[in-house]
Amino acid sequence: MPFIPHTQKETAEMLSAVGVKSIEELFHDIPQKLRIDMKDSSKLKLPKGQGELEVIRHIEGLLAKTKNAGDYAYFRGGGIYNHFVSTVVDHIALYDGSFITAYTPYQPECSQGTLTFIFEFQSAICALTGLEVANASMYDGASALAEAMMMGLHVAEDKFRKENRSTFVIAGHVNPEYVAVCKTYAKTAGIKLVIVPASEDSGRIDADALKAALTRNVCAVAVQSPNYLGVIEDVEGVVAAAKVNENLVIQAIAEPLSLAYLQSPAEAGVDIAVGEGQPLGNHQFLGGPAFGFFAAKKEHLRKMPGRIVSETVDRNGKRAYALALATREQHIRREKATSNICTNQSLCALRALIHLAAWGKNGFMELAEHTIAKTQYAMKKLAAVEGVKVLHGESPVFNEFVIAAASGLDRKLIKKGIVGGLSLDKYGKGRKGQYLVAVTEVTTKEDVDKYAAALAGALAGKPVGVSK
Amino acid sequence: MTNATTAVTNPAEQLLFEMSVEGRRCLRLPELDVPKVDVKTALKGAKLRNQPAKLPELSELDVVRHFKNLADKNFSVDKNFYPLGSCTMKYNPKINVTLLSKPGFTKAHPHLPEADIQGHIELMYNLEGYLREISGLPAVTLQPAAGAHGEMTGIMVIQAFFRDKGEGKTRTEVIIPDSAHGTNPATAALAGFKTVTLKSNADGGCDLEALKAMVGPQTAAMMITNPTTLGLIEPNMLQIAEILHAAGAKLYMDGANMNAIQGVVRPGDYGVDVMHFNLHKTYSVPHGSGGPGAGPIAVREDLEPYLPTPRPIKKPDGTFTLEFKRPKTIGKVRSFFGNYGALVMAYIYMSQLGREGVRRNAEYAVLAANYIRAKLRGHYHIQNDKTCAHEVVFTDAKQDAESHLHAIDVAKRLIDYGIHPMTIYFPQANVTGGHGAMMVEPTETESKQTLDFFIDVMKKIAAECKENPDLLKNAPHNMPVVRLDEVRATTQPQLYCPMCMA
Repeated sequence: MPFIPHTQKETAEMLSAVGVKSIEELFHDIPQKLRIDMKDSSKLKLPKGQGELEVIRHIEGLLAKTKNAGDYAYFRGGGIYNHFVSTVVDHIALYDGSFITAYTPYQPECSQGTLTFIFEFQSAICALTGLEVANASMYDGASALAEAMMMGLHVAEDKFRKENRSTFVIAGHVNPEYVAVCKTYAKTAGIKLVIVPASEDSGRIDADALKAALTRNVCAVAVQSPNYLGVIEDVEGVVAAAKVNENLVIQAIAEPLSLAYLQSPAEAGVDIAVGEGQPLGNHQFLGGPAFGFFAAKKEHLRKMPGRIVSETVDRNGKRAYALALATREQHIRREKATSNICTNQSLCALRALIHLAAWGKNGFMELAEHTIAKTQYAMKKLAAVEGVKVLHGESPVFNEFVIAAASGLDRKLIKKGIVGGLSLDKYGKGRKGQYLVAVTEVTTKEDVDKYAAALAGALAGKPVGVSK
Repeated sequence: MTNATTAVTNPAEQLLFEMSVEGRRCLRLPELDVPKVDVKTALKGAKLRNQPAKLPELSELDVVRHFKNLADKNFSVDKNFYPLGSCTMKYNPKINVTLLSKPGFTKAHPHLPEADIQGHIELMYNLEGYLREISGLPAVTLQPAAGAHGEMTGIMVIQAFFRDKGEGKTRTEVIIPDSAHGTNPATAALAGFKTVTLKSNADGGCDLEALKAMVGPQTAAMMITNPTTLGLIEPNMLQIAEILHAAGAKLYMDGANMNAIQGVVRPGDYGVDVMHFNLHKTYSVPHGSGGPGAGPIAVREDLEPYLPTPRPIKKPDGTFTLEFKRPKTIGKVRSFFGNYGALVMAYIYMSQLGREGVRRNAEYAVLAANYIRAKLRGHYHIQNDKTCAHEVVFTDAKQDAESHLHAIDVAKRLIDYGIHPMTIYFPQANVTGGHGAMMVEPTETESKQTLDFFIDVMKKIAAECKENPDLLKNAPHNMPVVRLDEVRATTQPQLYCPMCMA
């Protein structure tokens, strides 16, 4: 019996202690006619159980029908990035059972390991964002932004009781996965969602359009920087524009490595910073599990979603860590909770902490420096290809940029072992033939050179699709 | 501290930030193979941060030893019996993490061409099939990242269904029993519904008459947990479904306790319209110190059009594709494909269980809980002393009356014996007669020897309550910290290490 230790003899002893003749008797509260008759093979049509060896073969068989980023010179990001993950991370978080087979630290005395790492994780997020409160994690960057939107609504409802502040503004190019999740949450919560388009040339927020959209009906405005197209936004400018009508400002960050060099959300003056944690020591797994990080100014603490750990003392005055501020949470506040989140992504947050600790202050900056240098190299190299134009070239970028070439290049590149930038054909009008190119520390000069050469080959003789 | 003349700094007691030594390094990058750039110039006037983020500076051994020390301060399923009720802390097979570490999973980028992720879509398709069969409902989405996220998705699907029928404005209420998990009312409120609380009957079950009086054209749904949070199988599921369906409302089932009935009865067969699974509870996805989990939902035909996108589809030629275009979908609730890595682990586990194994898990989970109930009868008050499902709820009524000791004292004393405490003070006091609940969920993976050890320890603690109450009040005795000031954690929160912000 897989994973069940009881022998027949023990089963009989247990049944006798309970005072029943068969296990079946224990299910008497389920009407007989509804109970699955295991002798009838048409009921509960599941395959026969397999041993470990068979399952390994089966999974390997499925994986044989896949290829992964490591099989290619890989240039796609768009929210999940092909980073290097140190072996140290897997050894601590995956192979040692102490963290992975524990649960939410409800009993602090036997969960100080978990509580301490969550406290350290919060500290690391505070260090990156400059904001004073961070929670123990959300599901992903997209749902973290949706939760920030809900929080923005709650803060505004509380602060401006006589006003209708049920509009949420998304400024410029925010990751479409994030926008999609916000739309779903907005629809159910009765929030009006307004998307302010960016300027075509710069790829950055159109300051005038944003100003016009930020009325007194707006609870909060979200800006992503670096944005979906890789362009670094003027977040300070958004904060200034939002001041006029007292709108909350949320910054979404899909690549937290950018915080090694870019102005921190706190320095820019934002109220809430959220983002995707995958680039910090988490594997790709088709997009999850990783985690969403969530940080805010101290004044918003009581409206924050998610678990929070605080330092405190024990009965003997010794430093210790405990869950704090549970009165915001669903298990205490029920329908009045700030969010319904319970199970979160703690193990992925642990991975981020190990990653940040192992790279350290200087290593983290070095990672960013390599990314920037490789991105700059890729931009120059691709721009030099006949028929390719780097767009939004006047605007600053960190790890991603857009090129205009021609539609339908993917197949030709894949034949040469390259997964080129992500096609933007479906992203928006006028984006046909454009690609979002992502670079990480894993990208080599050889990869870039190969990509440039293959692009040149693929475009030779093609009508150039660069639209101006 | 009588002769403490020198302060000793033990790195094992320090935070990462406190261990930091300026200039120390751990990981290193390969030599840069492209021209070095000046960051400021390259970033073309973008505003840069004033000072580097204050991350710690450590060696690899510093990092490894720090986390090993933290690991030793945790109780976990690998090391300890962990009967945390409502959480199904079963054994997590090692094959899960070993297979998940393969590059085919770790480097599966979500924007890979569809031709390159055929095996992944097939896995999702197969897993949906397993969950369809176990739920008895015809459509599944794997996208929700956790149980509460599944609840929200399910409630949104129900809301979209009624809005589509033109009843969005009238069906404004969701009925929730008072014994429900807090996530249920929080979810309904998040979706803008008014929550109506249904008082449980004396047996912890649904009071049909009270329900009838509550249900009407204003009812969108009822969220029910079965088995209930009191660990009892709800005997009147068919009648409950009938009452709701007669009023045109939907029945949502919180599947947190699915470990007790999987393979025994299919929720769809007794009238459930939507349910969520907690793959981290029922299907062995490790709980990860709080997550990640996965909370897929299964729905009846009429609700299928509203499920989130994308959906894995098998084409007539045997290949797989992802369907994004679904005009009535509620949209996306999470980026990409949900917690795919967690789905993989559940799939590996279910492949090992197979048809017989799924059923047997429920049988032995229920047998184990009833065994504990029978053996501890007389030592602790049992909230409902009748056949229970996969968990049994005791209260501290006896210990309170005898020695003014409470659930928390019993829980803390268990730690001294190397057992993780059960869930305490849930279900809420109002369903346990004002007494502190102690909810024990042993799971099917714990041996009889472990169960007997727990039973003996619980008996011993019951005796200690009478003979030496201080032993409980001061427990635990051998842990790094004891009885934390949790009030201070909330009234004077210190939420980060000051050194990270200096």
